[in-house]
Amino acid sequence: MSRFLKIFLGVLTAIGGFVDIGDLVANAETGARFGLGLAWVVLVGVVGIVVYAEMAGRVAASSGRPVFDLVRERLGPRVALVNLLASFFINFLTLAAELAGVAIALSLLAGVSYVLLVPAVAFLVWVVVWRMSFGAIEHVFGIMGLALLVFVVALVHLSPDWTSMLHEATHPALPTEETPFTYAFFAIALFGAAMTPYEVFFFSSGAVEEGWTRRDLATNRLNVYVGFPLGGLLSLAIMAVASQVLRPAGISVGTLPQVVLPVAVVLGKVGLAVAILGVFAATFGAAIETGLSAGYTVAQYLGWQWGKFVRPRDAPRFHLVVLVSIVLGALFLLSGIDPIMVTEYSIVLSAAALPLTYFPILVIANDPEYMGTLTNGKVLNAIAMTYLCILTIVAVATVPLMIITKGGA
Amino acid sequence: MSGRRFWAHLHLLDRQLVDRDGRLCGNVDDLELEWRDGRLWVSGLRTGAGSLARRLGARVLGAWLDQVHRGVDPERADHTFIPLRHVADLGDHVTLSLDRTEVATWHGERWVADHVIAHIPGSGHASDE
Repeated sequence: MSRFLKIFLGVLTAIGGFVDIGDLVANAETGARFGLGLAWVVLVGVVGIVVYAEMAGRVAASSGRPVFDLVRERLGPRVALVNLLASFFINFLTLAAELAGVAIALSLLAGVSYVLLVPAVAFLVWVVVWRMSFGAIEHVFGIMGLALLVFVVALVHLSPDWTSMLHEATHPALPTEETPFTYAFFAIALFGAAMTPYEVFFFSSGAVEEGWTRRDLATNRLNVYVGFPLGGLLSLAIMAVASQVLRPAGISVGTLPQVVLPVAVVLGKVGLAVAILGVFAATFGAAIETGLSAGYTVAQYLGWQWGKFVRPRDAPRFHLVVLVSIVLGALFLLSGIDPIMVTEYSIVLSAAALPLTYFPILVIANDPEYMGTLTNGKVLNAIAMTYLCILTIVAVATVPLMIITKGGA
Repeated sequence: MSGRRFWAHLHLLDRQLVDRDGRLCGNVDDLELEWRDGRLWVSGLRTGAGSLARRLGARVLGAWLDQVHRGVDPERADHTFIPLRHVADLGDHVTLSLDRTEVATWHGERWVADHVIAHIPGSGHASDE
């Protein structure tokens, strides 16, 4: 493959792979309830994930060490264990939510209850993790996920008043039926959805899986600096479409089909089919990423051999953790729990757990022993420190807000 | 490797162990120290679930894990201890001059490989391209 094509493919993958069940639900839900009053949070979240994913990619490319390896080295075994338990639990909720997303997308086509499809979906996800090469997994689902661009098409087709939309986004106002607490709660949900910790676990482990070296740093930057912001725009399109179609109709988002409802209203059956394909690809890809991340975190904390770059026989406990996580995720859904609630909890709790993951990345990215000459610059450090402060405030505020708002109700 | 000065806590503890063929084989879970000439020297590395549990404060669990480990093959050398002479290189990871089969974590890996993973079709093949 030519170098240009490879980079182009990488950027497309980063765009399509940016959105997962958390982004779909959080953006549609806030669009329906707050209009564009929370759009600025997506912007803040995207800058945050860009800053830290680039750092994690750079660390992995220059030292070959993935994120959870560093978490233990810098936080010590005890704090790292707390982080592992929290991250593993949140990652598990996310995995279950993604599996539900795939099953719901298929159920819209098959016309049966999604719960019946969960076992088959879990099996399919596991087979892909077990057999498909890492590069193929990333590209196939990332590029299929571009079908979500249908939300952009729907938005343009609506031909909304762009200036008033811009005004709404830049002058956030609190809708009369909401409280400052629900506003803050959904801000955290959007923030958590954009900065989910599994993204950096997966991104940095993926860099090691693909054998990145310093020569791949340009690719890293392009994927992150171009792909992620465009993925963020896609998230905003989902929010904008919901604010244009669902909000005036007084429809709030309580199920996944309501996320794609606006596309069906604006573009009809064909649009709906493309949107369903996009949701399927985005959640399927993310289910694989979270399944792998379950294995990555545990194996990297304990030093076990991990990764798809070796035969499964050579990374047995890594594959066992992945398999068990997927099976448990499916069983959790079969208990009949509401998948939208699982999604909301996963993104809000993500926000709370973020500092423990991002702090070690920042420390290592400044350590010449790992980075050689590739340590952070001053501006980047200033931005990264600011985010660490925001993350800490968010982490402290999350649980009280969950209690006050009764989970955003 | 002897007589080199470094911050043992910062440069050794919790680092990834890599065997002589580049395979990941556990972490530096603890250090073995000895007094010589009025100074404290690192004599070797400890690795495995037992050492980790002890460092996390679970002494009883740690002792039990080590015992289980030794019970697998009482004749065999203690694979939870790695004398410093088997450390080939110190960098952002610790490279050993040993094979992974001579390091504690191998036994758990092998058990899961033999009893679970080997029974799933395709376990011995690399992923399809």
